[in-house]
Amino acid sequence: MLAEARLQQLHAFVNTFSKEELVWVNGYLSGLLQNEHTSLKQKSNPTEVAIKKMTILYGTETGNAKKLGNSFAASAKKKGVSVKLTGLDQYRLTDLSKEEYLLVVISTQGEGEPPLAAKKFYDYIHQETISLSNLKYAVLGLGDTSYPLFCKAAEDVDIRLNKLGAQPILALQKCDVDYEADATSWLNELFTKLSKSSTDSIDKLVITERKISTKTYYEGKIINHINLNDNQSSKETYHIEISTDDQPPYQPGDAIGIYPSNKVEVVNKIIALSGIAASKKITTAKFTDSVEVLLTKHLSISYLSGTLVQKYASIIGAQIPDTRIDLLDLLRIYPVKNADQFEEVIKILNPHSPRLYSIASSPNAHSNEVHITVAKNTFEVNDEKRIGLCSDYLCEFQEGDSLNFYIHKNQSFKLPAADTDIIMIGPGTGVAPFRSFVAERDATGATGKNWLFFGDRNFTTDFLYQTEWQQYKTTGVLTKINLAWSRDTARKNYVQHELKKEAVEFIQWIDQGAHIYICGNKDPMSADVEATILDILSDHKNINREEAIQFLENLSEQGRYVKDVY
Amino acid sequence: MSKKDTTSLSAVERIKRESHGLRGTINESLADAITGQVQEDDTQVVKFHGMYQQDDRDVREERARKKLENLYSFMIRLRLPGGVLTAEQWLATHHIAGEHSTGVIKITTRQTIQLHGILKSHIKPTIQSFNSARLDSIATCGDINRNVTSNALPSHSPLHQHVHAYADKISTLLMPKTRAYYEIWLDEELLEEKKDEADPLYEDRYLPRKFKIGIAIPPNNDVDVLTNDIGLIAITEGEVLKGFNIAIGGGLSFTHGNEATYPRLATVIGFCDTEEKTLKTVYEVLTVQRDFGNRSDRKQARLKYTVDRLGVEGFKTELEKRIGFKLDEAKPFSFTQRKDDFGWSQSKDGLWHYTAFVECGRITDEGSSSTKTALYEIAKLNKSSFRFTCNQNVIIADVKEVDKQTIDDLLGKYGVKQFTQTSSPIRLSSLACVAFNTCPLALAEAQRYIPSLITKIEPLLDKYDLTQDDIVLRMTGCPNGCGRSTAAEIGFVGTAYGIYNLHIGGDRLGLRLNKKFKENLNEEQILQTLDELFQVFAKEKTRNETFGDFSYHKWIASN
Repeated sequence: MLAEARLQQLHAFVNTFSKEELVWVNGYLSGLLQNEHTSLKQKSNPTEVAIKKMTILYGTETGNAKKLGNSFAASAKKKGVSVKLTGLDQYRLTDLSKEEYLLVVISTQGEGEPPLAAKKFYDYIHQETISLSNLKYAVLGLGDTSYPLFCKAAEDVDIRLNKLGAQPILALQKCDVDYEADATSWLNELFTKLSKSSTDSIDKLVITERKISTKTYYEGKIINHINLNDNQSSKETYHIEISTDDQPPYQPGDAIGIYPSNKVEVVNKIIALSGIAASKKITTAKFTDSVEVLLTKHLSISYLSGTLVQKYASIIGAQIPDTRIDLLDLLRIYPVKNADQFEEVIKILNPHSPRLYSIASSPNAHSNEVHITVAKNTFEVNDEKRIGLCSDYLCEFQEGDSLNFYIHKNQSFKLPAADTDIIMIGPGTGVAPFRSFVAERDATGATGKNWLFFGDRNFTTDFLYQTEWQQYKTTGVLTKINLAWSRDTARKNYVQHELKKEAVEFIQWIDQGAHIYICGNKDPMSADVEATILDILSDHKNINREEAIQFLENLSEQGRYVKDVY
Repeated sequence: MSKKDTTSLSAVERIKRESHGLRGTINESLADAITGQVQEDDTQVVKFHGMYQQDDRDVREERARKKLENLYSFMIRLRLPGGVLTAEQWLATHHIAGEHSTGVIKITTRQTIQLHGILKSHIKPTIQSFNSARLDSIATCGDINRNVTSNALPSHSPLHQHVHAYADKISTLLMPKTRAYYEIWLDEELLEEKKDEADPLYEDRYLPRKFKIGIAIPPNNDVDVLTNDIGLIAITEGEVLKGFNIAIGGGLSFTHGNEATYPRLATVIGFCDTEEKTLKTVYEVLTVQRDFGNRSDRKQARLKYTVDRLGVEGFKTELEKRIGFKLDEAKPFSFTQRKDDFGWSQSKDGLWHYTAFVECGRITDEGSSSTKTALYEIAKLNKSSFRFTCNQNVIIADVKEVDKQTIDDLLGKYGVKQFTQTSSPIRLSSLACVAFNTCPLALAEAQRYIPSLITKIEPLLDKYDLTQDDIVLRMTGCPNGCGRSTAAEIGFVGTAYGIYNLHIGGDRLGLRLNKKFKENLNEEQILQTLDELFQVFAKEKTRNETFGDFSYHKWIASN
């Protein structure tokens, strides 16, 4: 069908792809075809968009929604549409009823919540009974199919806008972590709908469920697994090196998602207590597999939620207090009557959620490898010391073990231009992406200066990657390093105290265009650091608190103040 | 006589001269928070301030894997002329050890105490706390006169106090003039005018190598006087101090495989009758060594090599030229004992002194005796002083008759008395250097190993009915000689991990060095060899013949 020259071009191009990329391209092309050949048509005969202006709003946590919003706006402008682009946190809510065409790009956090920046907007549309009958809109949601409440916030916004009288231009598009292809075809379809030649009247749109592309998994082998803390330390932080056959497509600042597995001993005990056959095939909402595999690989069996415990109670017909508990303990205290009852229990269990870990390696410095830094997470439940499932799972890995992971992009947490200075504030495991940053800058010969603030409990036992930082300091890639040890002296020293000490130089760096990055615990670390930065700004720039906040917001708008906190 | 050619100075010589009065770049090193080390040159400079940079050699490999640097820390050694602390100072030391170091207070083989495992960030607080207790660590390491030792037990001589005072006088006389210690560690304001720092003794070069001075009061040689660069031997008549015999050129360090290095006992070169002459002589021995000592090869830099190079008479001629008088002929003296007298003894002034056994000088609560708690409780009474011996033991000293029982009860309560009374004579007379895990020079274990080795030697002695024979047994982890192995009846010198050379034939009193008898023995071979030697000794010895003398005649002199 193709002319020889075109075919050769195609072959040459396709030959550069990895297998994973080909699979993706395959899905992408069939997606294009399904969408009424819109993109293909555009190639020969660009659609002319009928509308004059539109508003694009984004609610972002990691920067992906913002990045998409930007690219949507750019595409729209090319089509001659004038665009008002703004973050949901900056948007004047009273403008909503005056809008005519509105695009909302919004991610979903944790248990189906909107990102913090979209909270005001989300609450506003849900609490106010405004009339939006003049509004035509479309919503695109970003999320992760691994979570039960996938793209819930986008769903809520879509339904609510409709309820308030707004007309959808296009059905809600939910996107998984590999969102680019779905988003592109959705936008193209949107332009088609808005084109003069479109035969569909928006008013008569039939909403149909849209397809979601699945994410790409990579298989890796653990080649190094080291507890970075010395033996006398009160902490355990593992440096894990995962080797892959091909270079996984990540950039410094990205994370990987990993699903935990349950301990075989625990699963065996559960199977023995329930009396079910380990090999019995069962189909749950998401999986069909043997009991053994389901309980080991797919389903969450620890620290069950109160709701789940009540479902369990009704299955076995018992009264169980509202509490969080492990499945094994539940079975011990409130046994199931028989294997059939337990089959019902299996069906109510939630699938595992993946855990995200900032990547600590650099594609240029550590080819075909992904490194992560995992703290063994201990917490107390009913005065009993417990270990976080995924951190435990990862910490107990051994060299030679295999695991699957996917890349979770973090668009806003990226290195700036090679000659731009950066200030990195990353105590504890928050240092992981900065190891990636500095290694990348070292490998690529970036000329910007690099300043790291690191902290942990004790200098002698908890200085994560100490010898590497020393090496980088000696060779000059690491321009400056400040260290804060909270348990070395009677007075606890944290990274914000080091920042305060360095206020004058910190301001100089900012004035010279440095980007500031914070990674690590949200509370109290990033809050304390931010408060300190505001103090420093008002003290050294002679501005008041509000002006300091504004200053920082401006930096944030320019992508010069970025956080990856958890 | 021409002075030593200085065209090829050793690296340490450059560091000393460029150190700006022993300041080096210590302040920058302290401010560098990314590492627990000081800069390389500063590792030499800090020695003069009384500390060594060390690292825990047990954990090097594991920490490297964890991407952690070596576990660097510092050993800080006090300047304690004659080895005395007040009760108050002991309490301060106890707390400083707990707060900043491993907690173990180590009595050295040269009558002072040292703390180990002090992190770089803890050095200043440690030195400041010591300073508050009127204690310092100036010049206790490095190429300079170090701690001056003196006979420890007051009941040994009515002249004890009189002679002991010389330790302090000599120490003060030979202190460096630089204010660096006060500036760096005690935040003293920087001197604008450096002229007050002019140092006619050390100039900007200091000595070519370490320098040790000890003072003995015959018939006791607890200080091992002839192992020092300068040994002063008090000459007494009744209760009158007549003066000192001067001995020079002692030093035990040598290097495996380097035939030009050797241990040497000091040579007595004469006698001084007055304090002024004695101090002048000591001072000028240092200036001769300063000017003639070898500054290009540190393995030939000790005074003993200078003496042998110039010849004893040549050295004496140069010395007499500088002191401006002829030394008198040495007076006769004799030693009868080198070990400590354990238990209670009373001095002429009526005060009581209890010498307690401290195995390898490590004051801790580990093992059967809670020595650390005992000393702490005794110090709280403030009824005694604390004196240290060159055999690494402690004397609870200067106790009034009325307080003796209370202290005796505490020594009993914490097991110190029992430990002292029940330890075998060979254990009581033993000595060991620190070696692993902190000494960077160690080739083999010493203080961590010798207690268990003695436990295995005791049955051998028992087998030949030699248990009551207090043979002097010493061990060092390398040939540098801190444990004075070559001046023992049985000496072990580490050559590799778990492997030692066996030296025998030294006398009991410290007047004759031993000789290497067997090389590279492991524990099994050590025990087998000693078994054979003890068997012959038990069978053939004459009455009162010591193992050292017997073995010298039997196996060393004849070869």
